[in-house]
Amino acid sequence: MNTYSETLYDSYGQEFAVDKIYFENKTDHQHLIIFENTKFGRVMALDGIIQTTEADEFIYHEMLTHVPLMAHGNVKRVLIIGGGDGGMLREVCKHASVEHITQVEIDDQVVEMCKEYLPNHSAGAYDDSRVHIMIDDGANFVRECTDKFDVIISDSTDPIGPGDVLFTSDFYADCKKCLTDDGVLVTQNGVAYMQLDEVTTTAKRLQPYFSDQTFYSAAVPTYIGGIMTFAWASNNPVLRKVSVETIAQRFNAANITTRYYNPAIHMASFALPQYILDALQDNA
Amino acid sequence: MNRITIEPTDKAEFYQQMVQQHGSPLLILDCDQLVQQYNALSNALPGVEFYYAIKALPHPAAIQTLDALGAGFDIATSGEIELLRAQNTRARQTIHTHPIKRDEDIRDALRFGCTTFVVDNIWELEKFVNYRHRVGLLVRVSFPNPNTPIDLSRKFGCREDEVSILVQKAQSLGLHIKGLSFHAGSQCPDSDNHVHAIEQCTEIINDLYKNHGKLLSVLDIGGGFPVEYTQPVMDIESFCNPIRKALLQLPDHIQIIAEPGRYLSASAMKSVSRIMGKAKRGEACWYYLDDGIYGSYSGQLFDHATYPLTIFSDIAEREQAVLAGPTCDSIDVIAEQISMPPLFMGDIVVGHQMGAYTSATSTHFNLFDKATIVAINKPTRVSENIIRLKK
Repeated sequence: MNTYSETLYDSYGQEFAVDKIYFENKTDHQHLIIFENTKFGRVMALDGIIQTTEADEFIYHEMLTHVPLMAHGNVKRVLIIGGGDGGMLREVCKHASVEHITQVEIDDQVVEMCKEYLPNHSAGAYDDSRVHIMIDDGANFVRECTDKFDVIISDSTDPIGPGDVLFTSDFYADCKKCLTDDGVLVTQNGVAYMQLDEVTTTAKRLQPYFSDQTFYSAAVPTYIGGIMTFAWASNNPVLRKVSVETIAQRFNAANITTRYYNPAIHMASFALPQYILDALQDNA
Repeated sequence: MNRITIEPTDKAEFYQQMVQQHGSPLLILDCDQLVQQYNALSNALPGVEFYYAIKALPHPAAIQTLDALGAGFDIATSGEIELLRAQNTRARQTIHTHPIKRDEDIRDALRFGCTTFVVDNIWELEKFVNYRHRVGLLVRVSFPNPNTPIDLSRKFGCREDEVSILVQKAQSLGLHIKGLSFHAGSQCPDSDNHVHAIEQCTEIINDLYKNHGKLLSVLDIGGGFPVEYTQPVMDIESFCNPIRKALLQLPDHIQIIAEPGRYLSASAMKSVSRIMGKAKRGEACWYYLDDGIYGSYSGQLFDHATYPLTIFSDIAEREQAVLAGPTCDSIDVIAEQISMPPLFMGDIVVGHQMGAYTSATSTHFNLFDKATIVAINKPTRVSENIIRLKK
């Protein structure tokens, strides 16, 4: 029986039964695979680490999209860094009020491969007329970019690998430059219980540029080890103090169907467990 | 001195066929022999998990053969990782054993899926701080062995009394040290140093638990299992018998692993070269082969090995001879002061026990091509436990 073992940690890990391999590519020190698993549907792994699965991706993509967009309330322009699988784009496109979406993906082959092998992720979003795909290094794009966005979503890989530049101070500073005054930057920030350093390091690097910096969270089954944190960075502290009633009004007005996100989850996701608060306190 | 066997010419038929088919110089890798060696070592050390030290013979067929037997792999560089990746081996079953690494080496190994690393000093330990949640470390301890041709405890390994300092430092950095490793030497004449090292490690493991509450779970006993070149060596069963007894003293929960390289690969490969020139110089007849010290016979220099040779002749006459390699350098001599029948252009010379540290250390000096490795008896069925490339 074929199996795939994640090799993220030495002493702990998850294993998948592999029913069928759809795609495998080994190039330039990189190993990418997409396979079928009964429980999680199509699973994509890069360098021994699970990136996304059809069954639980909605949690991750909904939370990185709808939380900043609903908190802001008037988002016209969105920048997605990474996110080649198209899941984030699909969620952003659900917002009729959004007028412009730029997605910066370093590798056009990732986009094409995901359209073919993970079609349910993008679900046709790449054909949306509001979408502009740029093939560029995300860090490079924000460095050069002179446009402004209301929300920037960093949908990166693990910091050990090609996505490492998306966890640097320089990248965060450049993101600030590309945000409107009320803008929000949200980033994928790892599973805090397993890698608490990622939380404290990100906090340290974001805080010089943003007056309101915190994390929110969701549990994504295949990002094993507990809740995944998302970094939140903005210079408008009001955005995450918006009442649940207002969020509910906006959510109803947007007329969006979700499977994880709802106004109560929105509010609750900013509550952090004490071990994270303590680590952030010690870090300060 | 190389041991030279003279066989009748009809015994050369197989080698002549191989040379006709593949040219010369050649290295013939017999995968069946790898299997036999693996099984012999497994029988001599039951319960020990083997990680083939691929530096000895980094060849795809060797890796496929051992992978199919369930062996893991001992890697030291990103180049070796690329070789494993190309063979679809299980990344979980690898250990990175180079005690000194650059940050990119660590990242390459992590991206491959290897999470076990070896350290022997504080500076190396500190390199893992950023990856501390992902890795398990082995501390390499030095046990010098004056009785081996290659002492592997000089360049690497910490002193026994430094282990607890490293373990405590690791704990303060949030790093997990999961075990110890040592190298008793290469091509050891006996297993006395292995036994000594196991006894000392047992003591260290027990003391760490007693004094610091630190539970270790792995002991890596390295390699050093000898193979016969020109001098007889202990058979593997006799060599391992004292090791087995010593291992019994370890706490039950300790998993024992080893990193054999030479023992598995040495006897699996033979060199086949041809005479490309001869000259009478003084009393001796000089023969120039198409492979030499800068090529497959590099182990005679780097590995302190002397390979048994076979030539093929039906002539009774004997004369003094020198076998030299093809390059322009005068140190490129394989064997001298040997007595053998006259040979002729194109005659074949076979070198035995040439699987370990031969082609691995050969050079392109003079831009001579390296010997081609031809693998025979390759495994027909490889392990099904690995992801296969989509056809």
